[in-house]
Amino acid sequence: MKNSLSHDTSAWPFKAVLVANRGEIAVRVLRTVQALGLKGIVVFHAADRGTLAVQMADQAIEITGSTPVAAYLDAEQILKAARDSGAGAIHPGYGFLSENAGFACAVAAAGLVFIGPLPEQIELMGDKVRARNFVERAGFPVAPSAIEDDDPTSFNDRARAVGTPLLIKPSAGGGGKGMRIVRDLALLDSEIERARSEGQRYFGDGRLYVERYIENPRHIEVQVLGDGYGSVVHVFERECSVQRRFQKIVEETPSPALTPELRARICETAAGIARSAAYRNAGTVEFIFAQSGEFFFLEMNTRLQVEHPVTEAITGKDLVFEQLRVAAGEPLGYTQADLQTSGHAIELRIYAEDAARGYTPTTGPLLQLRAPEGEGLRWDSGVIEGGEVTAAFDPMIAKLIVHGTDRSEALARADHALRDTVLLGCKTNIGFLRRLITHPAFIAGDVHTGFLDANPQIAAEPDPAPSTLQALLAAASLSTKTMRDGADAIPDLHAALGAWRN
Amino acid sequence: MHHAFEFADNEHGVELSRTPAGYRLHLDETHTIDVRVLAEIDGRITLNIDGRKVDAIIATRGDEVFIHLDGEAYQLRYRHPLERLAAQHQGGAADGIRAPMPGSVITVAVAAGDSVSRGQTLLMMESMKMETTLVAPRDGIVAAVNFAAGQSFDRDALLLSLEPVTA
Amino acid sequence: MKRIESQLNTGSAEFRANVAHNRAIADDLKARQQAARHERPQRDIDRLRAQKKLLVRERIALLLDPGTPFLELSTLAAGEAYDGSVPGAGCVIGIGIVAGREVVINAGDASVKGGAWYPLTIKKTVRALDIAIENRLPVVHLCDSAGGFLPLQADFFADKYAAGRIFRNQCALSKMGVPQVAVVLGHCTAGGAYVPALSDYSVIVRGTGAIFLAGPPLVKAATGEEVTVDALGGADMHTSVSGTADYPAASEEEAIAIARDIVGNFAKAEKTKVQWQTPEPPLHDAEELYGVLPRDIKQGFDMREIIARIVDGSRFHEYQPAYGKTLICGYAHLWGYRIGILANNGVLFNDSALKGAHFIELCNRDRTPLLFLQNITGFMVGREYEQRGITKDGAKMIMAMSNATVPKLTVMCHGSFGAGNYGMSGRAFDSRFLFSWPQSQTAVMGAEQAANVLVDIKIRQLARTAQKLAPEDIAAIREPVLDEYKRKSSAYWSTSEIWDDGILDPADTRNALAMALSAALNAPIEEARYGVFRM
Repeated sequence: MKNSLSHDTSAWPFKAVLVANRGEIAVRVLRTVQALGLKGIVVFHAADRGTLAVQMADQAIEITGSTPVAAYLDAEQILKAARDSGAGAIHPGYGFLSENAGFACAVAAAGLVFIGPLPEQIELMGDKVRARNFVERAGFPVAPSAIEDDDPTSFNDRARAVGTPLLIKPSAGGGGKGMRIVRDLALLDSEIERARSEGQRYFGDGRLYVERYIENPRHIEVQVLGDGYGSVVHVFERECSVQRRFQKIVEETPSPALTPELRARICETAAGIARSAAYRNAGTVEFIFAQSGEFFFLEMNTRLQVEHPVTEAITGKDLVFEQLRVAAGEPLGYTQADLQTSGHAIELRIYAEDAARGYTPTTGPLLQLRAPEGEGLRWDSGVIEGGEVTAAFDPMIAKLIVHGTDRSEALARADHALRDTVLLGCKTNIGFLRRLITHPAFIAGDVHTGFLDANPQIAAEPDPAPSTLQALLAAASLSTKTMRDGADAIPDLHAALGAWRN
Repeated sequence: MHHAFEFADNEHGVELSRTPAGYRLHLDETHTIDVRVLAEIDGRITLNIDGRKVDAIIATRGDEVFIHLDGEAYQLRYRHPLERLAAQHQGGAADGIRAPMPGSVITVAVAAGDSVSRGQTLLMMESMKMETTLVAPRDGIVAAVNFAAGQSFDRDALLLSLEPVTA
Repeated sequence: MKRIESQLNTGSAEFRANVAHNRAIADDLKARQQAARHERPQRDIDRLRAQKKLLVRERIALLLDPGTPFLELSTLAAGEAYDGSVPGAGCVIGIGIVAGREVVINAGDASVKGGAWYPLTIKKTVRALDIAIENRLPVVHLCDSAGGFLPLQADFFADKYAAGRIFRNQCALSKMGVPQVAVVLGHCTAGGAYVPALSDYSVIVRGTGAIFLAGPPLVKAATGEEVTVDALGGADMHTSVSGTADYPAASEEEAIAIARDIVGNFAKAEKTKVQWQTPEPPLHDAEELYGVLPRDIKQGFDMREIIARIVDGSRFHEYQPAYGKTLICGYAHLWGYRIGILANNGVLFNDSALKGAHFIELCNRDRTPLLFLQNITGFMVGREYEQRGITKDGAKMIMAMSNATVPKLTVMCHGSFGAGNYGMSGRAFDSRFLFSWPQSQTAVMGAEQAANVLVDIKIRQLARTAQKLAPEDIAAIREPVLDEYKRKSSAYWSTSEIWDDGILDPADTRNALAMALSAALNAPIEEARYGVFRM
């Protein structure tokens, strides 16, 4: 990250930006804000008092709540903090209030600039059905589907039109119960009947819903930037297929799944969708990508994404700066042709979690924290040594972003960097990440959203080699006061004699 | 073996003694390894283990020992001999219901003195927006409930205990 | 300090013959120790296992700090007594490291007659506690005894050094401020009940440990009361009701771990400072001791060859090398500790006795511990020597040695006959530790000599009744007398009777002496004071 950005902000309607967020993203936003010579203000709950964001902010304002999360969701307090501190703009980061249209309206009503899209754009994209319909009407691909309730009499025909393979789901369902995959349309009618009776049995409701079933899909998303004046560019794609518990763990760009043609098509589709909405702000259009090369609109996130640094790495764009600029009313000032990429970037999310125990979150103090250093590395984190990972927030500790001339160099750098990352006191997924990125399928780029479920051995902690176990026991014994003192208490003579017997 | 470390769901008995030049690690009655401390500063330790040079970074908190070795982080837990031996003979794990992960209590379904049967719900907990039900591991009588609804706890916290089984 | 120049020809036939002879003796010693330690009737082992008890040596292994030495004492006590049916006298004693502290371990061996106390069991136990007193060493008692062996009660009950002495010594230790912890791993009945009761700390195992003056059968016989072992003297009763024991434990392992924790809380005594330097192994191999020792007790050898195989760097500063040459005196270091050595190189003459007395005074003044290496046939006899005052010169040496306050250690290297045994700090003179080598002999005079005296007496008695003895009759009288005499002058007899603290394989001597010396330095060295020297 650059330490200063030479950009004339004198015409901007704000001189101070309040970050309504915490953790690594608050730090990330503050960096750009401060690099521009603007005042960076952050709100914080007491649980975050010792964090990096609070330390580096020009001003930090404590907010309270029934839970720490509640504090960051409390628009009233945040607006008050903004007024009290003289902030002219609020950056919501991601999560919390970032996609809350009501909040965006309230910010505007308070005479402040919301660093994000217009409230109606948030509203449009915030409702999945509405967004889907909007995209479909605009002529972009959405996954074919049929809802029985729309017209029960034509349901079977409409279901047939979805095409195979397709998935029949009970409308009232959840948790996979009553779901049936159909690969042969000859069986469609009988499978519908079966699904209906299962739905009745499980949920007391036989209504159904059919959608195209995409086997082993990939998650590919495209970064877009719009200035609200109609100018929209895409900033290329990101592949985020490796997920656990429906959360991304590793993101990279370019996607290893795309040919140049497919890449151009999916990126242009995303830009087209954003353009249709006259989008302002940075945003992300997410697609479900079938192994066949088909892709369908999934949703659009109207905020900065966790994984935005990989895009920054290959394009040299500072996306927070772009957000601030367009929110300040500047036009993009460049066209798609001006955007070029260089090399390959991968983000690895370091979580406080136990991969071997179903990725359950862990907590603990950060007794030792040493970020890796080296060429092509970026470490985005909101925690510092001596801090603590608590159950109050998301368990993400840091993001490690590696950039290389190509994917294999990036992967090699990632493995080195993970090895050099010291994080003691709280169990993390670093070992898991190393196993993941050295897995042959991952190296081949052959992944999908179900990859980790299909390969549970990656999450399993391998038994350490005997020599490793010995080293661990030696190091642990020497670090355990009771044992060290016990050994040190042995008089010199008797230590020299060892286990002598007469 | 007096001392032990819990590591990856196993307990490893271990002893440490001294040699004129350093230390000796006893892995069992017959298997020992000579260990010398070459350097030890700020949590970084360099050991010579049986002629092999090993660098590690170590942090401890209470009985927890965290070790960064060869690019991997490991966590061990020291078991004091008195604690370990006392636990061995007082019913052990089956008497204590420990938190599988950090979180907070939603509801407690039983009180001290209650008879419970195996599989009966004892407590509902929440961790990272996931609810988990903890059930009785065996028939018995609740000896103590250590947390009330709304209280939070760390992983492995003793949430409830059952009366030990008397032979 | 210069090295001793070894004159030993390790290539000689003599050397090789000696090695073969003495190694066989050492092997025999190891075999006897092995048997005394481990060979038990299977039913006794099975009984203990059924009771979920550990064997005494398993208990000791758990008690000791791992990777530390254990100097076992009097392993072969009672080896020549009770038809060999009470190996080790039914107990194990020794010095080991517990929680970093040197302690005396006194452990009953329930695999021998249920741990019953025989007269020699008591003698060995009293000796263990004497060692604790003399050297101020904390004691860990591992109690598991069926009580006194009744058929021999007259031999162990009432005398000054009989069973009562155990308890007297415990009280003395407590008064001195030397702590004791008792671990009750079996029954402590009658007198045995006082061992935990008189200890500063006691741990008792639930289920197997019990303390009572009389067990349930005796109680029923005496008062008609019917009571279980647990109710009468079990762990919970004693730790929660009577207060006779302090800590209940659920298993032997836990009891021993608690005892270790207790010892770990004992104040670490400041050891007596003596001259010390970084240790150095001997230049000459200890295994060569087998080739130094002759095959015949009457044959002489140079004690310097022994010293060279025991002390640091084989270095020795010899004092008065040209005077009184039958007694070698000088300084050396043993595992770093500076010591003064007196070693016999022949019969003691006037000059050797005077040299010895003078050297002992030097060491005593300079707080230098003394090591006596015995190979002595006695003081020189005859008119000339009596006229020169051999007796009063010997008395000077005995006076100096007897009143020396520095720790004294004695090794019976070969022969120990007559008053020489006394002058060289024999058992009666309170050496802190006294060890024997397996081929050594101890008696008032040599076997041949003694047998001749005894046979002469017999012949004179028979002559009075006018019987004339043929040479074969004399031989028939002589042989059994000689055999019995030899048996009772052997190291195995000495050690059986606990005239020593155990037999050492000569190759183990250096380490055993170092442990003994280190233990001895736990007691302060008192101001040197003597009686009246006859001038």
